[in-house]
Amino acid sequence: MDMSWDSWGMLACLCTVLWHLPAVPALNRTGDPGPGPSIQKTYDLTRYLEHQLRSLAGTYLNYLGPPFNEPDFNPPRLGADTLPRATVNLEVWRSLNDKLRLTQNYEAYSHLLCYLRGLNRQAATAELRHSLAHFCTSLQGLLGSIAGVMATLGYPLPQPLPGTEPTWTPGPAHSDFLQKMDDFWLLKELQTWLWRSAKDFNRLKKKMQPPAAAVTLHLEAHGF
Amino acid sequence: MMDIYLPLKRPSWLVDNKRMRTTSDFQWLLSTFVLLYLMNHVNSQRKETPYDLKCTTNNLQKWDCSWKAPSGASRGTLYEFCIDDRSHSCYHLARTNIEIPALSPGDHEITISLQDAGSSTSKFILNEKNISLIPDTPEILNLSADFSTSTLHVKWNDKGSVFPRHSNVIWEIKILWKKSMELVKLVTHNTTLNGKDTVHHWSWVSDLPLECAIHYVGIRCYVDNLLFSGHKEWSDWSPLKNISWTPDSQPKVFPQDKVILVGSNITFCCVSQEKVLSAQIGSTYCPLIHLDGENVAIKVHNISVSENSGTNVVFMIEDNVCGTVVFAGYPPDTPKKLNCETHDLKEIICSWDPGRSTGLVGPRNTSYKLFEGFSGKYVRFKKVDVSANESYHQLLLQMVPNQEIYNFTLYARNPLGRSESTILVNITEKVYPYTPTSLKVKDINSTAVILSWHLPGSFGKINLLCQIEINKINSVQESRNVTIKGVENSSYRIAVGKLNPYTVYTFRICCSTETFWKWSKWSNKKQHLTTEAIPSNGPDTWREWSSDGKNLIIYWKPLPISEANGKILSYNVSCSSDEETQSLSEILDPQHKAEIQLNKNDYIISVVAKNSVGASPPSKIASMEIPHDDVKTEQAVGMGKGILLTWHHNPNMTCDYVIKWCNSSRSEPCLMDWRKVPSNSTEALIESDQFRPGVRYKFFLYGCRNQGYQLLRSIIGYIKELAPTVAPNFTVEDTSADSILVKWEDIPVEELRGFLRGYLFYFEKGERDTSKMRGLESGRSDIKVKNITDISQKTLRIADLQGKTSYHLVLQAYTDGGLGPEKSMFVVTKENSVGLIIAILIPVAVAVIVGVVTSILCYRKREWIKETFYPDIPNPENCKALQFQKSVCEGSGALKTLEMNPCTPNNVEVLETRSTFPKIEDTEIISPVAECPEDSSDAEPENHVVVSYCPPIIEEEIPNPGGDEAGGTSQVIYIDVQSMYQPQARPEEEQEKDPVGGAGYKPQMHLPINSTVEDIAAEGDLDKTAGYRPQANVNTWHLVSPDSPRSTDSNSEIVSFGSPCSINSRQFLIPPKDEDSPQSSGGGWSFTNFFQNKPND
Repeated sequence: MDMSWDSWGMLACLCTVLWHLPAVPALNRTGDPGPGPSIQKTYDLTRYLEHQLRSLAGTYLNYLGPPFNEPDFNPPRLGADTLPRATVNLEVWRSLNDKLRLTQNYEAYSHLLCYLRGLNRQAATAELRHSLAHFCTSLQGLLGSIAGVMATLGYPLPQPLPGTEPTWTPGPAHSDFLQKMDDFWLLKELQTWLWRSAKDFNRLKKKMQPPAAAVTLHLEAHGF
Repeated sequence: MMDIYLPLKRPSWLVDNKRMRTTSDFQWLLSTFVLLYLMNHVNSQRKETPYDLKCTTNNLQKWDCSWKAPSGASRGTLYEFCIDDRSHSCYHLARTNIEIPALSPGDHEITISLQDAGSSTSKFILNEKNISLIPDTPEILNLSADFSTSTLHVKWNDKGSVFPRHSNVIWEIKILWKKSMELVKLVTHNTTLNGKDTVHHWSWVSDLPLECAIHYVGIRCYVDNLLFSGHKEWSDWSPLKNISWTPDSQPKVFPQDKVILVGSNITFCCVSQEKVLSAQIGSTYCPLIHLDGENVAIKVHNISVSENSGTNVVFMIEDNVCGTVVFAGYPPDTPKKLNCETHDLKEIICSWDPGRSTGLVGPRNTSYKLFEGFSGKYVRFKKVDVSANESYHQLLLQMVPNQEIYNFTLYARNPLGRSESTILVNITEKVYPYTPTSLKVKDINSTAVILSWHLPGSFGKINLLCQIEINKINSVQESRNVTIKGVENSSYRIAVGKLNPYTVYTFRICCSTETFWKWSKWSNKKQHLTTEAIPSNGPDTWREWSSDGKNLIIYWKPLPISEANGKILSYNVSCSSDEETQSLSEILDPQHKAEIQLNKNDYIISVVAKNSVGASPPSKIASMEIPHDDVKTEQAVGMGKGILLTWHHNPNMTCDYVIKWCNSSRSEPCLMDWRKVPSNSTEALIESDQFRPGVRYKFFLYGCRNQGYQLLRSIIGYIKELAPTVAPNFTVEDTSADSILVKWEDIPVEELRGFLRGYLFYFEKGERDTSKMRGLESGRSDIKVKNITDISQKTLRIADLQGKTSYHLVLQAYTDGGLGPEKSMFVVTKENSVGLIIAILIPVAVAVIVGVVTSILCYRKREWIKETFYPDIPNPENCKALQFQKSVCEGSGALKTLEMNPCTPNNVEVLETRSTFPKIEDTEIISPVAECPEDSSDAEPENHVVVSYCPPIIEEEIPNPGGDEAGGTSQVIYIDVQSMYQPQARPEEEQEKDPVGGAGYKPQMHLPINSTVEDIAAEGDLDKTAGYRPQANVNTWHLVSPDSPRSTDSNSEIVSFGSPCSINSRQFLIPPKDEDSPQSSGGGWSFTNFFQNKPND
């Protein structure tokens, strides 16, 4: 993996994010800017995470060792059934409304974040743990952003059902190999989810392009 | 007899079966033949009696004997089996075997007879040696497997109670695998029988994980009783027991997450219902070993150390993948450099080097346990993280109160092994104190302070050794070691004395214990200024009378820091004499001089420096200046940075010498600085940062007596001499025809920059423009140099010059520091009229004198001259003998005798008869021959023939580059007749060439050379080419000279006497065809035309 390209990519993305950050209060001056800026922010953060993950995955797959770090290694999914799948039928996806999509995103990242933290506990090297912790922080930020978008759009946050909270359980029942497969799939799912989220937020952003007044009007009309 | 022995023989053959195997094939074959023969022979006779008695035992207590019934015996036949021993016991039985108690050693006669037919009786000799000991078939009580370790556990009972005495037992266990029952392992296991039933255990670790294939286990035994003399045989194999693993629906790889030693071999297997496509360890693919069903295995030899997350072993199955991770590493190395020490006698820190990396991390990393032998306390260490740069591990252990000796053992273990290391320490000798902190300094007085610091630790029972580093600015650092009693409260203080007042010190401290182990790190530095004290000395003082002599200026130097002992605030100056005392007080510090108006009395001046603490002792100086003898000013040059002044010891000088100096160009009073030298010194090296090279300084040496100072020496000098910066300004005072008087001025002292050593004066002939181009390089001969070393000389007269000539004058001054710049000037000397006149007059006078002398001589010797040069010639007319009649002589012309006619010039025509080159003539005619020969030779070198005429110069041979082409060279030379008699004008080389190829005119001077070379016969040929030879060959004179008045009437006669006085000959070439040539009459100017036409004109 070309590290230098990654660094530049990340830097570019970070710059984009930073560039957009002051735009939010600036818009706020003129009243309620609507969900647009926060969607844009979430979208940018998603893209930034995509870049960050690319670097992390390279490091982590090397840590897992061959054949996990071989480019053509594409094993069937084993034992990672608890991971939320990002792949969804196109028809089904199209049929989802914004709320459902956002809810799914939120739930997925909540799960993934939890597994990622488990990964962090397991990692043997400090360097890897540092990278994972950094990524976890970013992912936590994304979760917050999604929650923000949902709040702006007036959608309630999904409540985790009691007992369904995913927990990382180390133990002899789970062999090292299966754990590695889980890690592999976790990274892969994260990648797919980020890709999907970027698409979702882009779509949502385009959808929210009309001025906020129209939305307000629509809501008012609905109120009547 | 045969019946008896044969049956006995058979068992022995059976027992010896093993031995037979070892005999050679030939023997075995021979025996077989013999046996077959005997068997056949016996069979023909045994039909009548029981035969083939065979006895075995399985417990050494009872013998099982059996025999074969005779041919005639039916199923219910009764046998009598009698043993011929002491009791002579007989058994009646209806079967052919019997169990009898073991017989005593030795031969026993056995009789077996059929009861219904008394005659058929067989007798056998039975001995223990003929008995076979065949143990009962053992049975595996339990076969279990530990799949995680691939270990099989076998359990069986040795049934030792049946054996009456101790015996060694050899168990043979076989392990088979796969459904095809391939033998994997055959091992023997030795036990002893001790008369009781004992259950034995045996375990075996399989290379192949047990999950991968079914494993079968069988066992048999061999009782090796030393007292039993019969044949011992292996028991039968026990029934096989197997162990197998019930596979899941999911494929699985074994072993799972195993930790193994680097370099070992390991087998992995995959239990799968589906076909396994490939297997790889890491990125290396391995060949598959097929087991039962779709199960496969791979073997890995000499496994290498794993990465942090282990080595992956992956089996690819259609639509699936399964794998495992193996961790290859090393057992923990023995901890190296185990060392325990304490910082504070509260806690012990043990550190060690873990040595070689185990290659195992995370949960498989080495765990350490530090155990203290006397107290039994221990502490564990588990390092989960992998950090490459942390080479040392350490553990903390709380100290046990009142325990000084500790026996530490460090245990290291990981899944592959364990190691340990031990150390015994007296902890009070292993104190490495913490870094002292909170270093503070407190004044005691101006020369002592108290240092206090904080050093955590319970050092109440030991002494501390501390090192105090004291740094003074611009001074050598000082270290002081102090021993102080340790305290429990960690606060320490110590007094540090022998310091200087009002001095900035920097302190820092480090500590150890008296039983030295290690110094602590240095504390932070602490800077401190000690308090002031009164100045220890008065300032160094000098006085100088002002230029008007009314005021006394008192100078003093600021006190050095070491003497000031504080900040000097002011000075008090007082002048006291017998009569009065004047004082100036509170002269603030930056001012270091004072002026007091005094009448010329002797005063004692005292100066006192004051700081905040008090006043210094006064420094005194007398104002009186003792008159001195005439002191000459000397010169001195310094060396490097200073100048060395020396003087003779003067016993009159009771107090110090003073050397003062100043810049010589400064106005009075002259004082830059002074220096006091002890009265016993005779020299002083004066150094000052103010000294600059090239600056003239004045130095004055004063001697001090009780009453005042006396000037002893006055010196001017330089620290270093430099070259002058300017050239001497010089002018020309006077110029004459042969000399120049130059005058120059002194160079100012500031620009001289050294002692003037002289001038260099250069002069040369030269105009302003040209001389500028040439420098005054040394060694040039045309430059004259005068080195004027007399520096008082200010003029120079340069004599012996040429009149009316421009001279380039250059003057430069020099010091020991080098040559200064040069100044130059151009001067033209005047015209020398007297010389000119003399030059004219002298030759005239000489000529006159010579004329006069000659005249006188001629006059005096006129007679002799006349006799010699002009003797009297008798007049023939007066000669009577020669008298003729006058009328006859005058009237008849025919009577003429010798008539001296003046010679008339001859015109000589030399004709070139080279008819083979007609074209040459053409070019000759049209060539521009009016030019001088130098020009013509340059102008047209292509011309074949250049005809030229230049009267005073002999024509030289003209090279003819095209001559070869034309068939030869044609050389035509015209020469003036007068020049013929100037042979020196003719080049030497031409003389050599001409005789061969030359066709032109040859002067007579050359003829003798040619004549001598050529013989007479060749003369004819020579004539054709040799040109004009008037005297040599008069016969060739065929030409008629039209100008000659004598040509018509005189031929050979006239020619033959030839006039010696004048041969004025002209020559010209007329080629034979010229007359016919149309060109000849053309417009071209040529010699030939000119001369030919002229007579016609």
